[in-house]
Amino acid sequence: MTATEWHVPEAELRRYGERTMAPPVLWSTEAHLAACAACQDRLAELDPQAVAAGWARLDAELDAPVPGLVERLLTRAGVADHTARLLAATPVLRLSWVTAVVSTLALAALVAHLAHPVVFLATAPLLPLAGVAMSFGPRADPTYEISVVAPMHTFRLLLLRSSAVLAVTTVLSAAATLALPEFGLVALGWFLPALALTLASLALTARLGPVLAAASVALGWIALVTSTLGTGSGGSAAFVPVGQFATAVAGALAAVALARARRAFETPRRLR
Amino acid sequence: MIVAPAVPVVRASHLSLRYGRTPALTDVAFTLGGGVTGLLGPNGAGKTTLLRIVATALTPDHGELTVLGADPRTEPGRLAVRRRLGYLPQDPGFHPAFTAFEFIDYVAILKELTDRRARHEEVCRVLAAVGLREHRGKKIRTLSGGMRQRVALAAALVGDPDLLVLDEPTVGLDPEQRLRFREVIAELGEGRSVLLSTHQTEEVMALCQRVVVLDRGQARFEGTPADLAALADGRVWTSGSRAPEALASWRAGSGRYRHVGEPPPGAELLEPTVEDGYLMLVDTTAQQEARG
Repeated sequence: MTATEWHVPEAELRRYGERTMAPPVLWSTEAHLAACAACQDRLAELDPQAVAAGWARLDAELDAPVPGLVERLLTRAGVADHTARLLAATPVLRLSWVTAVVSTLALAALVAHLAHPVVFLATAPLLPLAGVAMSFGPRADPTYEISVVAPMHTFRLLLLRSSAVLAVTTVLSAAATLALPEFGLVALGWFLPALALTLASLALTARLGPVLAAASVALGWIALVTSTLGTGSGGSAAFVPVGQFATAVAGALAAVALARARRAFETPRRLR
Repeated sequence: MIVAPAVPVVRASHLSLRYGRTPALTDVAFTLGGGVTGLLGPNGAGKTTLLRIVATALTPDHGELTVLGADPRTEPGRLAVRRRLGYLPQDPGFHPAFTAFEFIDYVAILKELTDRRARHEEVCRVLAAVGLREHRGKKIRTLSGGMRQRVALAAALVGDPDLLVLDEPTVGLDPEQRLRFREVIAELGEGRSVLLSTHQTEEVMALCQRVVVLDRGQARFEGTPADLAALADGRVWTSGSRAPEALASWRAGSGRYRHVGEPPPGAELLEPTVEDGYLMLVDTTAQQEARG
């Protein structure tokens, strides 16, 4: 059947005019309308405003700039376009920050080669912590005030950005782990602490703000690692099986605390 | 035409807020109807704090507040207000890598517009409203200060809000940009309520149907700009020499001195302006407080 033989049924034309038509039917209808003068005329008779609205929609689509690389990659990976845009606005997800993370991991891996893996294992969990602290709050986010008074839940934005930071640092840390000397499973000892520290920091953010929360958790972690140095092949009790189990439990508790504190993120507070 | 809403858009009474030991607002009361209302006051008067409270970014320590018929101290009330509010902060920040279009698109997502087509249409609409559609593809960091301010205003307009809260919207703009901005704000005030803060009396004269004067955390006046000017009725003079006993005395562009307060001998009475009324109000209050 050719375009001239088939025409958009009236019910569908009405749905198009009322803007209740969803993709992919919307796309095929639009493609047909662009080529079929008869259907254009029928639509204009049915709803003259729909024709004007259609042109406005087309203008708006043509006006939209091509999304940046990060957004394009995210949408290709199946992330919704609006979520991709929110993630692209994460303050630390910039080349400068990724470079800093890669440099830190490279240095820590080098020290692991020359001396002991504990430096790498202790450093890697601090990177998402720093990233999350620099992703949210009035000091880090230039649009913080606009975000806070927007109807979208602040907690959702915080989780989205934290997940993005955690994902990036996890991939980079995992890549850096491959460069470590052979330590077996101990080389992955950074993963659970990274998760637990990030969750603990987020749970504390509701009370202390992002920077103080991350700093407190980081200091606690450094104190724990240094006070248990010399234990196991990982160099600290935090990286032996019992330590990893305890870290997982702490992470789970932090997740519960974070879920319970989520309302606090929606409450207006002094900017800090 | 300005349509006055049946109920006040904002009704505040006994609002108080402290930053630590420093009182930022003390027992502030005011109501906001349709059109443009100016929040006038010197730097540090508490204007930004009051606007942040109205915009739901801060909660007062004490007092009653209703915005658009909802109580922003409750979670459902806050959400209801945020869905009908447009806010331009004093120092609007931008993500440097974004274009004007992308930034407003980002704000539209924060305002729950997730459908891509509807969102893009809205972005185009607000960009056109502030005259920036031609610059939509430019990185924000490459735009002039005036254009950036217009981008921020466009972001505040997303979703066609019923209440616009604008914190010093024309600060830092050159005279031409300021005029253009006023034009846009005046037009916006015809269909909705606009609350804007300023420390410039000329802004109040040019834009506002009503004015609230805030000084040292307290609301000192609420009325029309003409009412504010009338506070200086019979207290504004002109003469050929300075009057040291006046509240304020300065040489005007004409070369003659203008005095607010006590007249020097032989002075002629002048019609007061909003600035004269504001000076009388703020200085008289300061003198009364100094006397205890």
